[in-house]
Amino acid sequence: MSAIVELKGVSKTFYRGKEPVPVLENLDLQVEEGAYEALMGPSGSGKSTLLNLIAGLDKPTSGTAKVAGQDLTNMSDGELAHFRADKIGFIFQAYNLLPVLTAAENVELPLLLTKLSSSDRKTRAKTALRVVGLEDRMGHYPRQLSGGQEQRVAIARAIVNDPTILVCDEPTGDLDRKSADEILALLEKLNKEFKKTILMVTHDPAAAERAGVIRKLDKGQLQ
Amino acid sequence: MTLWSVAAKNTLRNKFRTTMTVLGGAVAVIAFIMLRTVLDAWNVGVEYAAKDRLGTRNKISFVIPLPKHYIDDVRNDIKGIKSASYCDWFGAKWPKDPNEFFANLACSDNIFESYPEMKVDPAVLERWKADKKGAIVGDVLAKKLGMHVGDKVVLTGSIYPGDWEFTVDGIYTAPAQSPVDRSTFFFHWDYKNEGAPAQMKNLIGWIVTRVDDPSQSAAVSASIDKLFDDRDMQTATMSERAMNNSFLGGISSILDALNIVSVIILVIMMLILGNTIAMAVRERTTEYGVLRALGFEPGHIRAFIVGEAITTSLLAGLVGVGLAYPFVQMGMGKWLEENMGQFFPYFRVNPMTALLALVLTVLLGAVASLLPAVRAGKMEVTEALRRIA
Ligand SMILES: Nc1ncnc2c1ncn2[C@@H]1O[C@H](COP(=O)(O)OP(=O)(O)O)[C@@H](O)[C@H]1O
Ligand SMILES: [Mg+2]
Repeated sequence: MSAIVELKGVSKTFYRGKEPVPVLENLDLQVEEGAYEALMGPSGSGKSTLLNLIAGLDKPTSGTAKVAGQDLTNMSDGELAHFRADKIGFIFQAYNLLPVLTAAENVELPLLLTKLSSSDRKTRAKTALRVVGLEDRMGHYPRQLSGGQEQRVAIARAIVNDPTILVCDEPTGDLDRKSADEILALLEKLNKEFKKTILMVTHDPAAAERAGVIRKLDKGQLQ
Repeated sequence: MTLWSVAAKNTLRNKFRTTMTVLGGAVAVIAFIMLRTVLDAWNVGVEYAAKDRLGTRNKISFVIPLPKHYIDDVRNDIKGIKSASYCDWFGAKWPKDPNEFFANLACSDNIFESYPEMKVDPAVLERWKADKKGAIVGDVLAKKLGMHVGDKVVLTGSIYPGDWEFTVDGIYTAPAQSPVDRSTFFFHWDYKNEGAPAQMKNLIGWIVTRVDDPSQSAAVSASIDKLFDDRDMQTATMSERAMNNSFLGGISSILDALNIVSVIILVIMMLILGNTIAMAVRERTTEYGVLRALGFEPGHIRAFIVGEAITTSLLAGLVGVGLAYPFVQMGMGKWLEENMGQFFPYFRVNPMTALLALVLTVLLGAVASLLPAVRAGKMEVTEALRRIA
């Protein structure tokens, strides 16, 4: 199998005023296509920063990042936006659904960037909601759903455009054990049945256990 | 679902805030429409001025009269005119209420030839011409003061002392959109001249001529002034439009002020709207970060914000126009025309004013959202997302 994520000598330095804050230093990473990997590490160690670089939300200060066959390092902001729309599915800790839209509309949202017809978009959104087991909640607004259900809608939104990679930043961080387990089972299913490559940041050892690979980030380096 | 409908739904996110903003905007739109309508009403007299009518007055000032025989000179020596009539400002008061202001003019018998807009029954005109103390009164004034055909009325002179008795021979009316005041009291100059003190005899206030060919107005008006150039009293002749304009001259600074105020009102509305939008945008930073993560671009974010502002301001504009239009058209306008006809002969919302209010509101709404939109577009995605994580 080939590497779907390939980071070489990646450094990321933020600036707090004039003072440089080095977060990642000369980091290498290879993730095989179809892998399910967990990323752990102390708070502030740069897990989100690393995830953002892979997802094309941010660019490394130095080094190269190749993801899903594309070199992100020299892409323009517009190209990065297209890359995210095509290749990446995001799952956040706080779900981040739009409160004014129903579950179905939230899932349909990323498809507004495609050329699909309105009815194709609706069919796709419905299919994605079926995958996460919320077909019967299509017309519900986020406030009418439980945390676990909201996160499943968010997962449906992340997979609706059939991305290559799912990046999850502490997807179970706000959930109780039972809901967290349901989400983890869902991610496992997406990995096994739908062959999605999954990169998941987590603090929860039980969550990390379910991934195939656990990586630890500390002091700007992968252990 | 479309990008536009997402923006529109965001508008209803905070219903209370949106309602207040829409109402605030609507009040501004109403104020704008009212002020504009006042300006339009003032300008009706200028706008609808007859192109073939000239006014001749004393070159020095309106208030200084001309010798009566000037009318003969005009009639005999000026070529290219249909008719020439004259009037004098009589300035008498209504004894029952001296504060009641209306124009009472002592005019030549052919005055209505100069103002074909004024509709007078030919029989009435004949009767009036034969009646030395006769008067023809505007319908609005007659209604207001309770004058009826056949009534004997007395006015108290101010410029020309004494009590003056008249008989109301008839009522004239005029279309709403004409420069003609429907509150004037016309009577015979000869009657005034007879009763005037010796030193005030044989004087007229101004001459009104109608030219055969409106394109020759300038030439005719120059020839009139040239005629009197080497007499001891020179004249100033101008088109009715210019004359009305010079009447308005005295209040033109007030009109300018109203004009400025009407624009200021809309600018205030824009600032209020801009503030509301900036607040909403700040609250939704994370959401815009999420949209960007999903692949939306800065242009989409800007469109969302501007789209939301346009929706809000369009609502404000529609509510404002929807309230102001029937209010002015059915209530206030009619009342003003009937009770303050000499100032507002025609007080109606010009459809262009309503359209202008709507267009300006939407435009200013869009402008108000530009700054927040541009700022939101420049936002770093990772920054926006970090606010929650
Ligand atoms: N945009 C930024 N500007 C400045 N500092 C940042 C920025 N993003 C992250 N950091 C800093 O980088 C470090 C790593 O942040 P992050 O990747 O969010 O850590 P983690 O997700 O592992 O908790 C932290 O010290 C954080 O303050
Ligand atoms: Mg983090």
